[in-house]
Amino acid sequence: MWNLLIISLAAAAVFAIAALGELIEQRAGILNVGLEGLMLLSGTFGFIAAKTSGSYTLGFAAAILCGAVVGLLHGFFSITLGSNQVVNGMAIWILGFGLTTYVGYPYTGPLGLSPLPKIAGLPPFFLLAVALAAASWFLLYKTHLGLKLRSVGENPSVAEVSGISVVRLRYLSVLLAGVLVGLAGAVYSLVYNPVWSYNYLQGWGFIALALVFFSLWNPFLVVAGAVLFGVLWQMSLYPELLFPGLFSRYIWRTLPFVITIVVFVALSTRWFSLRWGATKPAALGVPYTREG
Amino acid sequence: MRAQVAGYRLRIEKRVETRWWHASLASVLAIVVSLFLLGFAFLQAGADPRQVYAEIARYAFASQFGLPQTINRAVFILLCAFAFIVPLRAGLWNIGLPGQVYAGTLAAFGVVYLFGGKAGMNAALAGWLVIPLMILAALVGGGLYGAIAGFLRGRFEVNEIVTTMMMNWIMLWLVAHMIREGGPFMGRTAEGEGFSLPLSVRLPQVLNVPLTAYGAVLLALVLLFFLGKTTLGYQIRVLGHSPAAARYAGIDTLFISTLVFGLGGMLAGLAGYHYFAAVPGVYKIPKSYGDFGDFSFYGLITGLIARSHPLAAIPVALFFGGMAGGARFMQGKLQLTFGIDYALLGVLMITMVAFQALSEYRLIVERAPTPVVLPLEREESRVESPHH
Amino acid sequence: MHSVERGQVVLEARGISKRFGEVVANDRIDLQLRAGEIHAVLGENGAGKTTLMRILFGELQPDEGEIFFQGQRVRFHSPRDAIQLGIGMVHQERKLIPAHTVVENIILGHPDTGTVLDLSRAEHRIAALCERYGFRLPLQAKVWQLSEGEKQIVEILKALYHGARVLIMDEPTSVLSPPEVERLLHSLRTMASEDLAVIPFITHKLPVVLEHSDRVTILRRGRVVAELETKQATEQSLASAMVGREVTLQVERIEVPIGEPVLTVDDLWARDDRGVLAVQGVSFEVRAGEILGIAGVAGNGQEILSDALAGLRPVERGRVRLAGVDITRVPVLQRWKLGLGYIPTERRDVGSIPDFSLVDNVLLNYYSEPAFSRRGVLAASEARALTGQLLREYSVVAAGPEAPARSLSGGNLQKVIVGRVLSRRPRLLIAALPTHGLDVGAAEFIHRKLLEAKRAGTGIILISEDLDEVLMLSDRVAAIYEGQFTGIVPAAEASKELIGEMMAGLRRGRL
Repeated sequence: MWNLLIISLAAAAVFAIAALGELIEQRAGILNVGLEGLMLLSGTFGFIAAKTSGSYTLGFAAAILCGAVVGLLHGFFSITLGSNQVVNGMAIWILGFGLTTYVGYPYTGPLGLSPLPKIAGLPPFFLLAVALAAASWFLLYKTHLGLKLRSVGENPSVAEVSGISVVRLRYLSVLLAGVLVGLAGAVYSLVYNPVWSYNYLQGWGFIALALVFFSLWNPFLVVAGAVLFGVLWQMSLYPELLFPGLFSRYIWRTLPFVITIVVFVALSTRWFSLRWGATKPAALGVPYTREG
Repeated sequence: MRAQVAGYRLRIEKRVETRWWHASLASVLAIVVSLFLLGFAFLQAGADPRQVYAEIARYAFASQFGLPQTINRAVFILLCAFAFIVPLRAGLWNIGLPGQVYAGTLAAFGVVYLFGGKAGMNAALAGWLVIPLMILAALVGGGLYGAIAGFLRGRFEVNEIVTTMMMNWIMLWLVAHMIREGGPFMGRTAEGEGFSLPLSVRLPQVLNVPLTAYGAVLLALVLLFFLGKTTLGYQIRVLGHSPAAARYAGIDTLFISTLVFGLGGMLAGLAGYHYFAAVPGVYKIPKSYGDFGDFSFYGLITGLIARSHPLAAIPVALFFGGMAGGARFMQGKLQLTFGIDYALLGVLMITMVAFQALSEYRLIVERAPTPVVLPLEREESRVESPHH
Repeated sequence: MHSVERGQVVLEARGISKRFGEVVANDRIDLQLRAGEIHAVLGENGAGKTTLMRILFGELQPDEGEIFFQGQRVRFHSPRDAIQLGIGMVHQERKLIPAHTVVENIILGHPDTGTVLDLSRAEHRIAALCERYGFRLPLQAKVWQLSEGEKQIVEILKALYHGARVLIMDEPTSVLSPPEVERLLHSLRTMASEDLAVIPFITHKLPVVLEHSDRVTILRRGRVVAELETKQATEQSLASAMVGREVTLQVERIEVPIGEPVLTVDDLWARDDRGVLAVQGVSFEVRAGEILGIAGVAGNGQEILSDALAGLRPVERGRVRLAGVDITRVPVLQRWKLGLGYIPTERRDVGSIPDFSLVDNVLLNYYSEPAFSRRGVLAASEARALTGQLLREYSVVAAGPEAPARSLSGGNLQKVIVGRVLSRRPRLLIAALPTHGLDVGAAEFIHRKLLEAKRAGTGIILISEDLDEVLMLSDRVAAIYEGQFTGIVPAAEASKELIGEMMAGLRRGRL
């Protein structure tokens, strides 16, 4: 049972780090629905780098770099060209899914590096996720940069007349997001489940995206939600530990996805939707063009 | 964005009006550029991309084995494209194509199962009754599964991208439950495969092509009429352009969003019926059904490239049907690794988005006026401040 | 910028020109702004006021012309450059973030804010500013909780906090009730006495201009047509300079016999998007052939009220009857069929769809009528005929029925919307800000059409933030303040002062 919790926290780290990245850019008004693709790309390139070099460091570095580059690519479409952010996100997702299938296929199989040690019995990246949540909260709500980022996501034209460069801050946000999501992709493919296979991410990017919506854009609630989904995921993998013999194991695998939808519906009550409406970045997904 | 080069001033401006051919040109350019980029993968494998593409085209459109395969894949892609287009016209994103495809497929096979068709290839079922029932079941199954996302969107404002994606994974595991490890639809011989359809309930072919292909072309015309000329189509378009205007006009947004996802699901369900119950050589839910589910995303990109136009989707679907089959063929021939067609899908998606975004801009080249004051370098002094 | 003397020119524009495509918004404009003066810039909608002040603030770059600050040529690449020199601007639409607090809004972007926010220090400084200029504000509140007048004060404070010595204001009086205008002008006087240059840009309210400004510049069609000291001006001379001809400031009211009640509203309550009860127990009736004007400062619940009456928003409590039928919970389409017509505040994206052709836009109110939908198929030729007829009847300038709505000017688009709604011959018309932001010609045209509908027996609710418009057209005038009616007064008894005070919640009339 304890082991189940530990591995759940390891899974939670992936959800949380990816969702924190998405949260930061959403706070600045950029919606990236292509998290899954970004994580596939960074995870795969990180995996290839680590497997060929035998070094975790190089693997993580490659993943983060890849995340940053793809994040900036999404930023270029969404910020500079000002095209529909949902379409852009879809493009990133299909790019990730299509390209990694081809590029990663020769590397199918386990990573083959010795696993990273735990810290105080806990998965190291879960601790990192908690630290990152605290850091994101401090950044967003306690610093001037955070205030600027949030104002860019609420109303870019207000930010502009306050002497803030909307374009620069939005690029900064997609860069930060790319780094975090890239890291999350590598935490999955190098640490949580270091085996490459076709479309291995199984929808985790979309669950992370859903987590951001659930969390009312609160970094700590992101971590709490990530733990919940980490536990759910492990339960769906090892149902016999809790409910032996009930349903086939395939039915259990649907559990995290069913719960995601149920949570969404449950959160549509007026109490929640009013708060949701009040905390949602008002300019989320809206392109901004400066007149001149 | 401005720049000045050798006495000429370059400006990039957002177009005031975009004409239909801007978008079409963008789509064509995206395809050309993606094929060019993909050419590097063939180069790396030591082949001349031009020859590779020529061979792909020969195999896909001029060979006796390849052409029917191209058509069958194209029909699947086309129906998936329709399934994507209808909700998109209402401004909603149907990412649930794989889920709806298998909801329809399971329902269709469920009919055969109920009629005892699992008994064996030669089970004598009344085809005239069972085949229409299978098609009906595929429509209903896919439609109901799709409609859930539309209902949740309309009633609870749940983001349809997330819902439909979740429902894909749910369906993926449900199919596994049905065909693996003693599931009710498990085949008698191979572990992890669905049972084969009895000969008596396989859809007849005309000119070596299953009837569903003709149905799909007919559907393109029906959809064109439905979306463009009918009152319901009008309401769908209004919702797609402005939800606020739709509410003002008294359009029932819950009904419309459920309707478009229901219709989308029906079309995807039909695609599933076509591929797994009507294409020669398949006639079952295969072991690698997950790949085929992902194959439905070609429908998404087809819908985007065709700019939601049902007729324009036909040539695009044929192109993809040919590319996907032909690329697999060349992949074997050139000893390339698996997934070259997926790489195309990915690269094409991103170039298409880039070109469609760029098609909204235009480049203006004009002779720069002789400057009276030398233009300031931006970095040098942002403000000619009187102080400091 | 420390040693500016009263009367010295602080900001000067020379030969400013700005084009948007074919339209010349500013044509070689010269303007001199002096320390310690309130310098009003007058002009109709579309005269180029907003463009000019956005250029002075660095939001737009001029095509030609130069800007001088204290005699030195300056060039603004963005508002940041202007703010650094001490230019502040209060926009007409609020440039504030509703979800953030007052303090957060004010310090946003200030270079001294530091890396880590020190909110209490900032709050002290802002409180000191409030004291000096006589403003009262809850600094910890979120901006969405404030009234429109308070929001404007936040913007003024923000400009001052960022060191403004020149304060540009776009239509500062449009969101204020008359007593609030008085208070604001008093504070502006205090600022001017400290050698700030204050520049309000104003469309109407000529008496206010005459009373409080030192100098007036008048713009017409992008050009300066007059600049004079206010002492030398009269209301009539300003008005004719603005419009370019002698204007009659009155339209004739039509008296028709008032008929049966078409709309009866009992104790209506409704919530806004944030769940706040924005309409609180409103009761009134509208009779056939009557115009009921609802005057109010923006954001006092009139939008929620009109949306609730039109069925776009659920009613929390109360009852609405249309010609005797209870429509409290009746869907939108049913209400239209029962004879309701609604001209919404938002012309684009609610009242019309910019990408649609005019025919498809006209169908917004017709698609479900049997004559336009036969067995589920749209009747294209009927729709085109109706659209063509509306375009002629309303003399709409458009390329034709198939022209996209986005190609029309605001005034022409509004004519199409008004025509579309009135062609249904509604029993009850709700007209929400029907002439907001339109030029004088289009506004007059729409006023005439409203009066024609009244003559034909339509009961009309006219919601407007423009007190002159309400007084000119209405048979009875209601004032709305914080979601409640502060009174309903017959036109004969409705003086500007009375309604103004009712709009500010200072006085209650009969209900």
